[in-house]
Amino acid sequence: MDLELSKADVAFRDGLREVFLGAVPEDIRRRTALGETTREDIVTSQRILNENGLAVPHWPQEWGGRGWTPTQSHLYSSELQRNSVPQPLAFNVSMVGPIIAEFGNEEQKRQFLPATANLDIWWSQGFSEPEAGSDLAGLRTTARRDGDHYVLNGQKTWTTLGQYGDWMFVLARTDPDAPRKQQGLSFLLLDLTTPGIERRPIKLIDGSAEVNEFFFDDVRIPLENLVGEENKGWSYAKFLLGNERNGIAQVGTGQRIYADLAAASADIPTEDGPLADDPQFRTSLHTAKTALLALEATQLRVTAASENGKASPVSSLLKMEGTQALQELIKLRMRAAGSDGMLLDTEAEVVASEAAAVAATQYLNQRKLSIFGGSNEIQRGVIAKTILGL
Amino acid sequence: MNLEFNEDQRLLFETVDQAVGRGYPAGGRAAVTGTELGWSDQVWQTLGELGLTGLTISAEHDGADAGPVEVYATLEAMGKHAAAEPLLDAVFLPSWLIAELGTDEQAKQLLPVLATGSATIAVAHAEPRRPWGRAPSVTAAADGSLTGVKSPVRGADQADKFLVTAVDDAGRTGVYLVEATADGITRADGRAADWGHTSQVEFTGTPAVRLGGDGVAADAALRSAFARARVAVTGEAIGLMETGLAMTVEYLKTRKQFGVPLATFQVLVHRAVDVYARVELARSMALWATAAVEAHDSGSAVELSATADDAFVFVSDAATAVAEEIIQLHGGIGMTYESEVAHHAARLIAITESFGGVSAARRRAIASEALLRAPSALLNNADAVTA
Repeated sequence: MDLELSKADVAFRDGLREVFLGAVPEDIRRRTALGETTREDIVTSQRILNENGLAVPHWPQEWGGRGWTPTQSHLYSSELQRNSVPQPLAFNVSMVGPIIAEFGNEEQKRQFLPATANLDIWWSQGFSEPEAGSDLAGLRTTARRDGDHYVLNGQKTWTTLGQYGDWMFVLARTDPDAPRKQQGLSFLLLDLTTPGIERRPIKLIDGSAEVNEFFFDDVRIPLENLVGEENKGWSYAKFLLGNERNGIAQVGTGQRIYADLAAASADIPTEDGPLADDPQFRTSLHTAKTALLALEATQLRVTAASENGKASPVSSLLKMEGTQALQELIKLRMRAAGSDGMLLDTEAEVVASEAAAVAATQYLNQRKLSIFGGSNEIQRGVIAKTILGL
Repeated sequence: MNLEFNEDQRLLFETVDQAVGRGYPAGGRAAVTGTELGWSDQVWQTLGELGLTGLTISAEHDGADAGPVEVYATLEAMGKHAAAEPLLDAVFLPSWLIAELGTDEQAKQLLPVLATGSATIAVAHAEPRRPWGRAPSVTAAADGSLTGVKSPVRGADQADKFLVTAVDDAGRTGVYLVEATADGITRADGRAADWGHTSQVEFTGTPAVRLGGDGVAADAALRSAFARARVAVTGEAIGLMETGLAMTVEYLKTRKQFGVPLATFQVLVHRAVDVYARVELARSMALWATAAVEAHDSGSAVELSATADDAFVFVSDAATAVAEEIIQLHGGIGMTYESEVAHHAARLIAITESFGGVSAARRRAIASEALLRAPSALLNNADAVTA
């Protein structure tokens, strides 16, 4: 066994840090650490990363991928998270990009991949529907062929950051008579300026409106915007879900929150001295510490296994446990702020601290972690079936 | 960066797994802990023949000079079968203390015998109502003779010798070697929560010899040996949890109620998944701590005690949760002495109170300055996470 990065990996990591800390502006990283990243922050940061060859390292090399080892990929995710660099937009770099690169035609690759990497196109995800959440294959939005177009009718929802979307990748039913609900779905690319689209924000528990619903009324999509084969959309969506989910446990994010919270606790007063000395706080902090260590060690085991070409079936475990650990840390940060943290917004000039100002909104907002990306109950189902044989 | 066994270590695990498995058919732990010996003599002989009793002993003293990963692999395989042979308690732990504290003469006298497996040494440190980290109340007179009570002492009924912690006239803690047949020893035998044999041992002017000779202080050696033991025992816990989970999954598939297998009920399936998650994370933690001890032994800057405390706390919490759930998911059957899973659960719980126990480990970890630094599993990758 060996708990050290090789010299080459250390050099690689330091190269990443040079870009992350040297080129990505400090104010963007500060806002990201607080969970207050703006649209401009994401665009600016992704373009800087792209300039440095760091926006789409997992794509095929021909389209900007880097052909990294699993350890290098792990360090990339980890360093982005630890340094509060906005993650390149997942809809672009982890979802539609890899699908177009794998299943799209040459024309689609040329048209979309460079613009997707550089965030010249902001992609939105058109998967979930009101009646198709965890049971995605039950989706009802239809795309009927009409000459050289598909005509899209239906509704999509939970579209994260859809308010900024230029284009949407849509999973729609092209064969309503297919014998199984997973069959007859197609993967379509939709220009969101097309007539017949209505976009409505959904106000969330923390007051934000980061998710949206979309209504389609006879929206016309040119046939050439079909990716891959008609009625094969489910297999493309599954390819995406089975794609290596690097950094899924978000250990780096947890380490960042931990470091900031531990430092801040020296300066938060209680009746008996600073919070940093409070046994209750320290007990909770230790629970968070060991959870992060165990998660990171699990992530390292998975990484090392894939270095040896072995697939590891534990991405569901990492998602489930990683999101829970992160939610616990964010809750601890809220408890640390106490009533100073119970603010959604304020016009007052004096707030206890930057971290306190976002403590409650972040706590409420991050309840989503255990719901999106396949709810933790869905992950339990996957583990039961694929690992335990139950 | 690597947290897996190498080929030799994998082979070691498989060898121990097979050898111990042969001696432990279903219900094996209940059977052997009920004998006078308290474990299987046949398995013990095999462990000796395989050289495992010499695992932690240097080649110079006829041992295998193996490291923490070999210890982990061996104990995980033992745990898989809920084996009761006292490799860790009566061989590894005393061997660390003797190697660290003993004179050359003592090492030469004691270690080769331990390595063959022909003798066991019970380490007597715990005392009734005495916190683990306090100096012992057992006293050593100027002539080395001991007076006071130790309890619980695991395997005392079978031990050939004791290593007893005691405080001398000058207030220094030492480790004393006592022959089991010495005068002035009164033993009251009993059973531990895991059905292992355990005793209260009272010393009354009992002749003893101090490890290392007069005046040699043992605090650092005790801290380090117990830290090693806390890491090592996580290996056994992983083996126990792994089998406990497998037995539970099997039970959910085969046991029928309301005319259908229990696995039909999602509430039970999800609880089994949570057990799996606990086991897998605990395994990562145990492997990480083992790798950290190995790095420490090759000169890396690793704080042995702090590492052991973090891992022991996490694995103990997992062990407790897993023990409770594997009983609950077996229903009434899990409560019976007859059921295998009950013995896995009981041993897991006993582990959480070994070598000072989980509460003391948590208190130390919470008091530690390192708590306010963000954790990082890799030794040369921590500096980036500062506030």
